[in-house]
Parts: sequence; structure tokens; C-alpha cells
Amino acid sequence: MRHNGLFAKAFSVLFAVFMLAPLVVVIGVSFTPEGFLEFPPSGLSLRWFRAILDNPDFIEAAWVSLQLGVASATVSSIFAVPAALAIGRGRFPGRDALQAFFLSPLTVPTVVLGIAFLRFLSFLNANGTFVGLMLCHAIIIMPFILRLVLASVTGLDRSQEQAAVSLGASDWTVFRRVTLPAIMPGVIGGWVLAFITSFDELTVTVFIVSPTTTTLPVRLFSHITQTTDPLVASISTVAILFTVGLMFLVDRIYGLDRLLIGEGAR
Amino acid sequence: MPFLQLSGLTKRFGDVVAVEDFSLAVEKGEFVSLLGPSGCGKTTTLQMIAGFEQPTSGHIMLNGRHLEEVPARNRGLGIVFQTYALFPHMTVEENVAFGLEMRGIDKKERARKVAGALELVQLAHLAKRYPRAMSGGQRQRVALARALVIEPELLLLDEPLSNLDAKLREEMQLELRRIQQEAGVTTLLVTHDQNEAMALSDRVAVMHHGRLMQQETPFHVYENPKSSFISTFLGKTNSLTATLKTTNDEGSALVCNGMELAGPPAHLRPGPITVSLRPERIEIVEAGEAVVSGPVIERIFLGDQWLFRIETPIGPLLVVRRNRGQREPEHGETVHLAWTPHHLRLLPKEDEAA
Repeated sequence: MRHNGLFAKAFSVLFAVFMLAPLVVVIGVSFTPEGFLEFPPSGLSLRWFRAILDNPDFIEAAWVSLQLGVASATVSSIFAVPAALAIGRGRFPGRDALQAFFLSPLTVPTVVLGIAFLRFLSFLNANGTFVGLMLCHAIIIMPFILRLVLASVTGLDRSQEQAAVSLGASDWTVFRRVTLPAIMPGVIGGWVLAFITSFDELTVTVFIVSPTTTTLPVRLFSHITQTTDPLVASISTVAILFTVGLMFLVDRIYGLDRLLIGEGAR
Repeated sequence: MPFLQLSGLTKRFGDVVAVEDFSLAVEKGEFVSLLGPSGCGKTTTLQMIAGFEQPTSGHIMLNGRHLEEVPARNRGLGIVFQTYALFPHMTVEENVAFGLEMRGIDKKERARKVAGALELVQLAHLAKRYPRAMSGGQRQRVALARALVIEPELLLLDEPLSNLDAKLREEMQLELRRIQQEAGVTTLLVTHDQNEAMALSDRVAVMHHGRLMQQETPFHVYENPKSSFISTFLGKTNSLTATLKTTNDEGSALVCNGMELAGPPAHLRPGPITVSLRPERIEIVEAGEAVVSGPVIERIFLGDQWLFRIETPIGPLLVVRRNRGQREPEHGETVHLAWTPHHLRLLPKEDEAA
């Protein structure tokens, strides 16, 4: 690090500022006592945080987003793990095609996906249902989980599983006791990334929500198309804090996990 | 009936023949090595015995059971992998207990057996450690304990020492032999390291191109290699191209690079052959007794021995001399070499042997 030149340092600082400045502005704005967006705020007030409580539809939308994120990331993981195992170590015709298929939600424009999901859900008469929304999210976030799990599958030592088999373990036991623990860091990392992606998703979701299943991003989006009060800022601040807290938690679990696998000597 | 009998074992991957018509008998309690260069089919053979590969044809009999019909997890074999393959999220104790747990052995009995196995490999004090916090040699012992605790009928070792540094490898060789004998388990070792194979095993089976070339005691294989491949693979040797002129019960007459040499009786037809002469059988003698003479072109000191390369009319010869603290020939000095004819090994030319 000491060898970094002035240019490299300046670049790093600028990059960090560029990434963090919008967050600083949003958090700053949320503390304004005024009824409009101003930065820097003319005073410090929790007025707009109290306002969240007066708008239960936002809390409800946040609750939907939370449930949606947990459910879709979990469902997606359940499909991504076997898929990653098959793609990561199988040698069968169509393997590359299968991988491309699972990663395709990354390459298809989200607007196109949104319209396609809308048509498809209407066709199934599942438009605006939570399950429909959840399945669509599960598809969109699949590539994020798949890639992280795939990375840990590729690094897996096959002989660990062979050792377990030679000691008498059944296929399911091998998976549960050896394979899954070994790829767990990838699964957890992928789950969190997928959860955040789902929690944050707007473009596709806008097409397929109904009034009862509106997510937080969609609710915020429709709010700022109508008014520009600092309520969006205070809600965003809460969301930012929530995300930071989640990352902190994952780091703790992940770090703990690594401790258990790694330098676990006491 | 031998304890382990491989008969006509063959494995093909598409057009590639990995193992061809491989037959081997191992007695109970015996330690046998499958020795060969990489790609010779030794690992594939081990994988077939373990049940991770299905033989294309042939049979594997263990203690009267047809193994090829038994799924890998029911074969009850102890396997030590090259990478040790310890479960990284389990402690040493949990690793060793895994096989017992799979067999439904109750907790008390399990703890007793695990303690016994760790005692055997001298790791009882590290039972609560995780594998990552251990040295290569220690992990090796854990892997061994894990394989032995299930009291396997057969222990398979897949290049178990190749990831250790040279000094530790020598220590572990002795240790491995001790543990194997203490446990009294029939053992099959796969290795490309001839020293390892010779030091550890009762018998060595040399493999080349998927075939069994020779199987005898290490001493026999070293002394009487059946082919020039084996003579060069097991230990150092001087391989000379020669022509066999005549042979009878008394001895044989050879021509090597235009020079006539006396050899032992040979069971070969007159014609081109390969002659193997071990470097430690060549003596440095007075000029009058010399078979060949020439200058020293290389001189390497190895501590306990000296290694010379000497340019002679029959080609450069490698000579090994024990270091007894006396003066040895200098670089460029002309030395006179001799050997008794029965130390020559007359072998068919390699292409005929294959």
C-alpha cells in the first residue's frame, strides 16, 4: 500500500467520494426540518423519520420487500445449488447451454423481462400475487447465486467426497455433511447478494406488482413521481442503515464461519 | 486363494486404455506397492478397487467377495488420499469418528475407538484441532487414523507422502510402516517414488502403460529387472546398447561400441540388446585390471557418497562410490574401471519388451 503513487491515491479517494456522496446527500437531506429537499439541511430534525410512522403503506411495502427478498433468495438458492453442482463438475452435452440459460437474466434487458413476466403471469392468472412476484424475483436473482456457488464448487476437492463415500456415507449424507458445508460460504454470499438485488429491484417489479404486493422501491418510485418531500430521503436512510447492518451481520457470520473452517485452533 | 485378487482388470476411457489385463494377488497383511510413472494406470487401478471407477472388464476379489458388484460406500476400505481429503469444517476427532458414525456405532464406543486410532498415530493431544491448523505430516496422520479406525480389510494409500518435504517424507515412511504393521492391515500403496516403494513394501508391482511389468520383492526387482524400463525406473543405472554375440551356460560375449565385453549367461537370442550396469557395482581399479578407462567429466559430492560420470569407449558411465573419507579422483583425471561380468543385466531392447 505504501508504494501507491499519488495518482493511485487520488483515484481511490475520488472513487470513494463518487460512490459515497449520493448516500451522504440522502442521509443529510433526511434530517431536514423543512418540507422540501434541501442540502445541506438548515437544521437537524427527526420530523421525516416520524413521518414514516404516519405512512403505514411504506412500512407495509418494506415488509413485502423483506419477505419477497427472503423468499426469492431462498427459493433461488434451492435451485442454484444443484444447478451449480451439475454445471461445475458434470461433463454432459449442453452443459454450456445450461449455464448460459441460468445466467441469461443478466443479459436480457430488464424491461423486456418485465413485460414477459407480466404477460406470463396474466396468462397463469397469477398477476399481482405474492407467489408470482416471488418466482419472478427468484429468476432474476438466480445468476448472482449461481455464480458464487459455482465458484466454490469449482474449488472443491473431489477426494473429500470420495473419502466420505469410502467411510460409508450415502449420497445424501455426503451432500449434507461434506459438500454443502464446503460450498456454504458461496451459498451464503450468493444468498445475501440475491436478497439485496431483490430488495432493490424496481424495473421488472414495476410491471408485475399489484396494490397489495407493492414493494418498497416501487412505492418510493410512485411517491417521487407525485411529490418531492424529504420522506423518500428518510426512508432511504433507514434502508441504507438496514443494508449496512445486514452486511455487518454477514461479515460477522462469514468471519465466524471462516474461523470455524480455517484457523479454528483454540 | 489370496486375500486380494485382481484378475484381468481392464479400464478403457473411450479409445484410451488406462489399465490393461492387470492381475495381482496380495496376501493378508502384506504391503504391496503399485509403482510407475504418472499416467501408467496405477491410480486408475486404485480407483477401481475403491469403487470410484467401474472396470471395463476383469474382477476384483477381496476375502472371497466380488468387490466390483459392491457400491463404493459398502466396500469398507480405508483410503488415504494424496491431498489427505480431511473434512475442513470438522475437528480431528470428528474427522476420525466420521466412518464410525456412518456405521451407527454408539457414542461411547466411538470415542474409545477414536482415542485408540489417534493414539496409534500419536496425535491424541491434537484431537480438538481443525485440520487447517496442522502441519502436512500431522494431517497425513489424521487421514491415516480416519482410514484405519473403521478396521478396513484393505488399506489403500494414494501417493500419501508426495506432498511432504523430503526430510518429513523419510520420517513418515518409517512411521507408515510401523503403523501398518501394528494395525496388521493388508495395504496397497500407489506411488511414483521408487524409494518409497522399496522402503515400505513387501512386494513391488511395477506398472507401465497400463500393464503390470514385474512384481517381486523390492530387492528382486532392483537386482533382476525384467526390462530396461524397470532398470532405469528403479534406482540409477547405466543403460548401454550392445549386441549379443554368443551365449551359453558359462557366460556370454557382447560387443558394445566396438568393444568386446564378457557378460553373464542370457536367455536372449543373439542380436541387439540393452545392458544395465548399476553404478555402485563399478569399481575403480589399477590400470592393469581395467575393463575400460577414461577421464572424469562430472564429480558430485552427496555427503555419504560420490557420484562420478566417466567418459569411456563404451559411453559415459555413472559410478557411485561410498564416501569413506579418502581421496577421490579429481575432475579430468583418468580412472580405470572394472566390474565382474555377472553384475551386468542383459535385457531385451525396449521396443521388444513393451
